[in-house]
Amino acid sequence: MNRRAVALFLLASFAPMLGAPGEAVAQTQGPQPSNPSLLPTRRASFAWDKTLLRAGFSFRDVIDKPLSEKLSSGLPNVILMRAYVFEEGRAEPVALAVRTCTVTYDLWDDIYRVKVSDPNGARNVPKINVDGVLRECAEAHDLPIVDRALLEKGHPHFLGVLVEVNPISPAMLQQIRQWVQRPTGSTGISPGDALFGSFVGIFVRQIGTSAASLSFRTQTFTP
Amino acid sequence: MLPLSLYGRGGWGVRGRVAIAVFACSGIAHADPIRTWGGSDKPVAPTPAAQSTPNDHAAPPAPPPSTIGTPIGSPGPDAPAAASSAGDTEAVVRSPGHVGLRYALEGIEVRGNSATLTRVVLRYVPFRSGDTIDVDDKEIELTRFRLLGTGFFRDVNLSLRRGSRRGYAVMVVTVVERNTMVLNDVWLGLSADAEPNGAARPLTAYGGLDVSETNLAGTGITLGGAIALADRQLALRTRFADPAFLGTTWTAEAQLVYNHARDFFGNKDVLVDDPTQQVAQDFAVVTYERFGGSLGAGHDLGVSTRIFFDYRLEKLDASLPLAASDHRGLDVAPIDFFILPGTSVLSTLRTTLIHDTRDEPVLPTRGDYLTLIGDASLTPLGSDYPYAKVQAHLSHWIGFSWGHVLKLDGFAGAIFGNAPLFEKFYVGDFTDFLPDRVLDLNFDRRVAPNLLGTDIVETRYGQYALKLDVEYRIPIYRGTRSVYGVDFFGSFGMYGVADADIFANPPRGYSGFAKVPIDLTFNFGLRADTAIGGFLFGVSNLIGFLPVRGVAQ
Repeated sequence: MNRRAVALFLLASFAPMLGAPGEAVAQTQGPQPSNPSLLPTRRASFAWDKTLLRAGFSFRDVIDKPLSEKLSSGLPNVILMRAYVFEEGRAEPVALAVRTCTVTYDLWDDIYRVKVSDPNGARNVPKINVDGVLRECAEAHDLPIVDRALLEKGHPHFLGVLVEVNPISPAMLQQIRQWVQRPTGSTGISPGDALFGSFVGIFVRQIGTSAASLSFRTQTFTP
Repeated sequence: MLPLSLYGRGGWGVRGRVAIAVFACSGIAHADPIRTWGGSDKPVAPTPAAQSTPNDHAAPPAPPPSTIGTPIGSPGPDAPAAASSAGDTEAVVRSPGHVGLRYALEGIEVRGNSATLTRVVLRYVPFRSGDTIDVDDKEIELTRFRLLGTGFFRDVNLSLRRGSRRGYAVMVVTVVERNTMVLNDVWLGLSADAEPNGAARPLTAYGGLDVSETNLAGTGITLGGAIALADRQLALRTRFADPAFLGTTWTAEAQLVYNHARDFFGNKDVLVDDPTQQVAQDFAVVTYERFGGSLGAGHDLGVSTRIFFDYRLEKLDASLPLAASDHRGLDVAPIDFFILPGTSVLSTLRTTLIHDTRDEPVLPTRGDYLTLIGDASLTPLGSDYPYAKVQAHLSHWIGFSWGHVLKLDGFAGAIFGNAPLFEKFYVGDFTDFLPDRVLDLNFDRRVAPNLLGTDIVETRYGQYALKLDVEYRIPIYRGTRSVYGVDFFGSFGMYGVADADIFANPPRGYSGFAKVPIDLTFNFGLRADTAIGGFLFGVSNLIGFLPVRGVAQ
């Protein structure tokens, strides 16, 4: 097992201990970019905390106006960020950092109850307005990314970041698909077809994996 | 509008398991498939259902500077301040370690429904006033998908607002309606039939359409109709379905049936005794009419399983030759038309069980689709056709890691007694080289291609049928707009259709393996999944027009 595999294994293993909800953990096993270097570039701040790489970047633009309003719906909204570490020129990630934010507006206390799960641990962080929520959930501040030992010394690396709002877990997606999908008869019209016309199949297509998503890469850094 | 050109199941032609919003396609025209990050590295678009689009045009926000450790490089002069702001006021957490909140549900408001009745929307909301609602309850999200799954709405959003007193909340269901007129099926194709006097015709066209309004007057009731046309043949269907009959979880369905149909018997050079026709002709032609209807009820047995019960009553009027005979092996034998001359009555009960775990309806990559059907003719209640019929059909899809898909398909059916011809197993429904029946109309006079040289050529309608089929699909295109996917497919199968007579009294002239009424079938072409439904472009029907083993087609 090479060190990349070890890093991914460790990250995947420790993510639950860091308090990530089960659904979010399932999301960490999501797809990775096949050619991440082609993603649009966005600047990030990098810093070495001894041997630990920390990064800061913003993805506030994943929350547009309708989603911003939805944060006040009184129902939970999840913002999931995955930051993969890639070595320039390679398609396979070296490491992965995951951050999950669950935002629920409290109708009667008039505050946003935010639950954050990331490599720093899990914590509840109340916010009084949407701007505070976005600062907490749509920006990464000194996010622990990877230990220097896991990076190829002297080689440029970058982060490939995928952000999803209200992601649907594969298990729930499958459940929904099965639930809404209705078979049709062999010759079109027949008892049983009426309610379950294949138009519902179109809806199956419309089930996305999230309400909104955003992906980008950062500039490179060299350990 | 539709890419209709040609079809036949396995035909050179198009068959649409089509679904289309006839006028307003805004809800689906830009529908995206399940999105992944791996296929292309373009930023992933949001779902239309969410109606939200990240602000891709604005400059991306600058990164916050590091406050820990040694910075690497410079993130830029416009970097925002690190996390500490007015928005970060630490408040008292009411339930440390748990963000989920609970409210007493004061009521449910439905907004945005101008056509759909509020009670129809509420039918899919499993909450009621007085309930204690947990904002983390997955039923809330499922409710949204349940409403979207009706097909009545382009978008659905759920939210909560304050109730009249502390701790109370009102659930607000906001819907955006869509056009609910859908096109369920389209048939277009070519066949070979016969003139009324029995003379063979080389080529004729047929077509059909199946349309439904799935939310009639906003009540959630489906009203649909279908028509199939060919030369001197017409089939009509009118259909009604209430998915929540009398507010229950049962579906009620009713259907009216009318068929003016013809069918063709013999394999050239039949002898017909009919005062209205010539004595010698190529085929014996039967003309009959069906008029009647069915009533049914259905119920979900689980997420993937449903059961239906249907009662059918039809009046049949058939015009048959007084007598007809045809070559059967080395002999000449009378032709059985499998329908009573003059007026007769058909009355049946049907039970249908469907288990469906496919991941997609058009281009599945995994799962099963099982159908079990049992019919029993109600002879004591006046049916002139005493018979029972059982059918089992199982399809299983296996997706490989390299993206290809294998489909294994098996069908078995048996009829005990004297079923009318449109209830019997027809070879054209099993071979890809002949058109399927559409709304029970048979468009083709040809016999099975008989690639194996068996006595399948002596069978047009059978009491027993068996088919095993394998299909392999290779994805060649995946899109995100109007065309979601195109797969090349190749299928190969073996089928058998037989009457009891072929075992009890096998035709002379066949020996050994040739006495087993089986044949091969294959097809290849393209399957397409589009915004208006699925299409199949096959070539086997075209191949079916070529003579095989000297059998004049």
